[in-house]
Amino acid sequence: MKRFEYYQPRTLDEAFERMGNLKGAGKYVAGGTDVIVRLKQRALKVDALVSLRGIAGLGDIAHNGALSLGGCALFRDIERNEVIARDFPALHQAVSMLANPQVRNVATIGGNLCNAAPSADCAPPLLVMDAVITLEGPRGKRDVPIESFFKGPGATLVEAPEILTGITIPAITPGTGSAFLKMGRVSQDIAKVNAAALVVMDGEVCLKCRLSAGAVAPVPLRLKACEKLVEGRRIDHDLLEEVALTASREVSPITDVRSTDDYRRHIAGVLAKRALGDALKFSTF
Amino acid sequence: MKKVLSFVLNGHEVSAEIESHKMLLQVLREEFQLTGTKEGCGQGECGACTVLVDGIPVDSCIYPSFEVDGKSVTTIEGLLGEGNVLHPIQAAFVAHGGVQCGFCTPGMIMSSKALLDETPMPTVQEVRNALAGNLCRCTGYVQIVDSVLSAAEKIQAEIKQ
Ligand SMILES: Cc1cc2nc3c(=O)[nH]c(=O)nc-3n(C[C@H](O)[C@H](O)[C@H](O)COP(=O)(O)OP(=O)(O)OC[C@H]3O[C@@H](n4cnc5c(N)ncnc54)[C@H](O)[C@@H]3O)c2cc1C
Ligand code: FES
Ligand code: FES
Repeated sequence: MKRFEYYQPRTLDEAFERMGNLKGAGKYVAGGTDVIVRLKQRALKVDALVSLRGIAGLGDIAHNGALSLGGCALFRDIERNEVIARDFPALHQAVSMLANPQVRNVATIGGNLCNAAPSADCAPPLLVMDAVITLEGPRGKRDVPIESFFKGPGATLVEAPEILTGITIPAITPGTGSAFLKMGRVSQDIAKVNAAALVVMDGEVCLKCRLSAGAVAPVPLRLKACEKLVEGRRIDHDLLEEVALTASREVSPITDVRSTDDYRRHIAGVLAKRALGDALKFSTF
Repeated sequence: MKKVLSFVLNGHEVSAEIESHKMLLQVLREEFQLTGTKEGCGQGECGACTVLVDGIPVDSCIYPSFEVDGKSVTTIEGLLGEGNVLHPIQAAFVAHGGVQCGFCTPGMIMSSKALLDETPMPTVQEVRNALAGNLCRCTGYVQIVDSVLSAAEKIQAEIKQ
């Protein structure tokens, strides 16, 4: 592997300064499961890595109705958090299916978002939960809705030397259920297609519906036509079939090493339908 | 750039001057000649390089060496008891055919150690989940799962005695 410097700042300000001085030749590293692998594959060249692991508080998880995740919250900790498993099942499921234990023990949710793979497994759950992303830089802090965060494969709203410091998920209301599903070649592979759903039910009627799919477009998508179809209705077999068809039309997948566009289009419909059915089961009204 | 790293390696305080681009795996194998830890893929896929950092299994091939400063690292060499007595997990792998070519074995055993430290009597599914990041091209995994389950029973029986 090519040589690089490795800096370990203890504060955000130190990190911004270090990254600023590198003038585009540096990258942040959190768990390193994307960035170090890409360096080893020679898909990426840097003069230096600036580690976020030593910055206090970035890994914290807190819950006071709303859920706050630090930018460097570990999948390991998210997976073991009982409140997340109970109230935010789609996120719990996405994280516990992601990669493998050794990767989850070091990889972070902020790294998953900033890497911005169209297949990033945390994106669909956070999209259906209307998460807000906090970015901090030398000039201050800004909050952006996750819906506007992704700009294309590998591209986000983050402007160096900004750091993704937090993710906030609004508190759930009664009747909320959510679920995540993923289709891959083998269990630890990245998704061919993934999908998440969230519903807020009032008895049999769906008050609010959020659907999202990944690896089927340049960025993780909200399936808004499907959402419109579902809101205000009872979720029955016919509606689920309609959702599957609509979802297949809403996505714009490509053919690559993992799958074909046709297959992805079809599976996006199937996963959207099933995720919606599962979210309904998790809803506790 | 270089830095003197101080950490606990298999129970002993060590320190060494290491270059910033080295991964923990290279440090263990080249600096400390602990060649029990293997490099398979070198990219976080196969788990052959699994070691414990503060008791938690990580892929040492993608673990930046500077991050172990002040931490505690356990490799397969650290499991051997006094008088070169095999650890119960190692013994179980031998007894149950959990080893064929042996290349995946150090990583399998480190993941198993972390599992049994957290979950002393795991279910079959818990063993499979814990070993999901360790690939084996020889055994078909059945003997490996048996080895871990039998090690769990042995360790619990020894604790009770
Ligand atoms: C074997 C294997 C299997 C995998 N399987 C999956 C899978 O199933 N699903 C999936 O979605 N991904 C998977 N991945 C990819 C990867 O593990 C995840 O994307 C992970 O969340 C990355 O987090 P990290 O902390 O390791 O990121 P890093 O590699 O440290 O960083 C990734 C990128 O984000 C930037 N960055 C990191 N944190 C911040 C921050 N707080 N602020 C600003 N920029 C930041 C870095 O500069 C870098 O560009 C897999 C990887 C491996 C090696
Ligand atoms: S050698 Fe480290 S995961 Fe394969
Ligand atoms: S025993 Fe050969 S790879 Fe597992």
